[in-house]
Amino acid sequence: MNLLEIRDLHASVDGREILKGVSLAIRPGEVHAIMGPNGSGKSTLANIVAGRPGYAATAGEVLYRGTDLLALAPEERAREGVFLAFQYPVEIPGVNNLYFLKAALNAIRKHRGEDELDALDFLERVQRKAGLVKMDESFFKRPVNEGFSGGEKKRNEILQMTVLEPQLAVLDETDSGLDIDALKVVADGVNALRGPERGFLVITHYQRLLDYIVPDHVHVLVDGRIVRSGGAGLALELEAQGYGDFGRAGGASRAGA
Amino acid sequence: MATPLNPLPLDAWREAFEAFLELPAEGRADEDARRAAFERFAALGFPTRRLEGWRFTDLAPLRGTVFEPGAGDRPLDAAWLAPLVDGPRLVFVNGRHAPWLSQLEGLPAGARLEAVPALPVGFDGDDALAALHAAFVEDEARLVLAPGVALERPLHLLLLSVGDGTLATPRVVLELGEGAAATVVEEHRGQGAYWSNPQASIRLRAGARLTHVALQDEAPEASHTARLAVRLARDARLALARVWLGGRLARADLALALDGEGAEATLEGLSLVGDGQTADHHVDLRHAVAHGSSRQTFRAVLSGAARSVFDGTIRVEPGAQKTDAQQQARNLLLSRRAVANTQPRLEIFADDVKCGHGATVGALDDDALFYLRSRGLGEAEARAMLVRAFAAEFVDVLADAGLVGIVRRLEARLAAFLDREGRP
Repeated sequence: MNLLEIRDLHASVDGREILKGVSLAIRPGEVHAIMGPNGSGKSTLANIVAGRPGYAATAGEVLYRGTDLLALAPEERAREGVFLAFQYPVEIPGVNNLYFLKAALNAIRKHRGEDELDALDFLERVQRKAGLVKMDESFFKRPVNEGFSGGEKKRNEILQMTVLEPQLAVLDETDSGLDIDALKVVADGVNALRGPERGFLVITHYQRLLDYIVPDHVHVLVDGRIVRSGGAGLALELEAQGYGDFGRAGGASRAGA
Repeated sequence: MATPLNPLPLDAWREAFEAFLELPAEGRADEDARRAAFERFAALGFPTRRLEGWRFTDLAPLRGTVFEPGAGDRPLDAAWLAPLVDGPRLVFVNGRHAPWLSQLEGLPAGARLEAVPALPVGFDGDDALAALHAAFVEDEARLVLAPGVALERPLHLLLLSVGDGTLATPRVVLELGEGAAATVVEEHRGQGAYWSNPQASIRLRAGARLTHVALQDEAPEASHTARLAVRLARDARLALARVWLGGRLARADLALALDGEGAEATLEGLSLVGDGQTADHHVDLRHAVAHGSSRQTFRAVLSGAARSVFDGTIRVEPGAQKTDAQQQARNLLLSRRAVANTQPRLEIFADDVKCGHGATVGALDDDALFYLRSRGLGEAEARAMLVRAFAAEFVDVLADAGLVGIVRRLEARLAAFLDREGRP
């Protein structure tokens, strides 16, 4: 069974059609990359999969392990194993980073019928993962993302991903604005989680990230449609040629800001 | 006297007042002054919304009813008497001292804590409720600290009110000598549709330090109208924390005068205002001399058809140079039917000062809600987490002061508030 299957997905935001029939299937164990110019609909696709209010499918369907994903509330998707690494992680003053992560993990564990982790077991687990994303423990005690640099926010997303261990992780331009060290951290986080049961949808504007996360499939999204799919080599080809050959190359990214 | 008389069941009030004067009361040798206070109240009538200070707060629940002083020996809920802080305790019931419930042991030498008959003073302005207070005031909780004396444990003043139609009129007086220090928790609680009309005055001599927590946890049907006047001498430090939870109508008028150089006042407030409740804080803070500093942060969380009012005046007198005065009013609206009115007023007559104010009125942040939900937290849990985050700084203030009992009470009230809010 496919982990994620998107069939002829159409979506509008603020009355404007952004996705114009996207189809895509991710099998367990696969990493798919979606590349495309700004404004092509990449972030809309990510937000629809995660269930962001205001992003609704107008036609088509999204199946997650064979069930209708779009019928689920965002938290239900998360508990079922869907994770979105945000393009713009949200700052939440007054909510402790670690406390939030523990509440999230326990909500997911509860849904799975597992016992909640106590404070010590949880801390041990986070410390292990934090080492992986080279995140200083001082970030644990700070409010979620508040005052974090761009790179720190993205590391925090990857920390959350590695702690929550989703079945399907969607990375929405997680590489944007990152230096090479931070980029490697993101890649290490993804590669550490890669396994026969898990799938990834890596959305990126640049090929650079895909040097470190080598995808099984690459899709080119232009103006709301997948115009070409191929193997990892397609990313290199795009890097050399740009998106110009696929038509519209301009536009501004609007998602989630 | 220019204020027209409102529809006030005046004859009934007068009857209640005469009956009150007939009651046997030790040390009440001040009938003339009480009569003068009552006549002042009768002439002024209840404040109406035509008055600037009452534009957003309707006293209708009080205006049509006659309240009467209640007996001090009503049956009480045992839960009210569970220890809130670890320290001496003075308990009033319906404005009267209840010595059998008070525990005054463990005070250091130089500290005097007592309950005494209060004098009918302080009604010469045009505040009808202050006049009513003077007419009906019974006992006064009085703490006097000699210079340099520090209370090691917080003092708990528990002001209970019981019974429908009861008027409770307690007074609190705190006087801290030079360099004295104390933490005082003034708790208001009770049962029934009563009216609590307390008044407090605080005087801090040079270098004195006081933390004063007002825990307003009145019964849901009750009304609460409080006045607090504070004077700070040179280098005195005052920290006020206002935990504002109960009552259908709860109003506080705070008047602070920073009379000595280097005085510092911090006012922190959190109101949880549920459906049908009105929570109103009026602050009049005066920097009379140079080098004073004041910080005000008032927060309100509103659900259902709730109303919060914050009206804050900062006056900087001529010559009060180097004043540093900041004021913040933050309102979190959980419902479209909730209304927050904030009114900052800066009156600055000195030119070398740092003064600022800010006010926010907003709903929960949709992006933050989605972020939390996208990690597996349910909607109610995510909302609760954001409301707690809004209150977090204030909770920290109480926790840092070691007032864990109050933190626990606040958290229990917050949980119940969110639980009610979460229901359709």
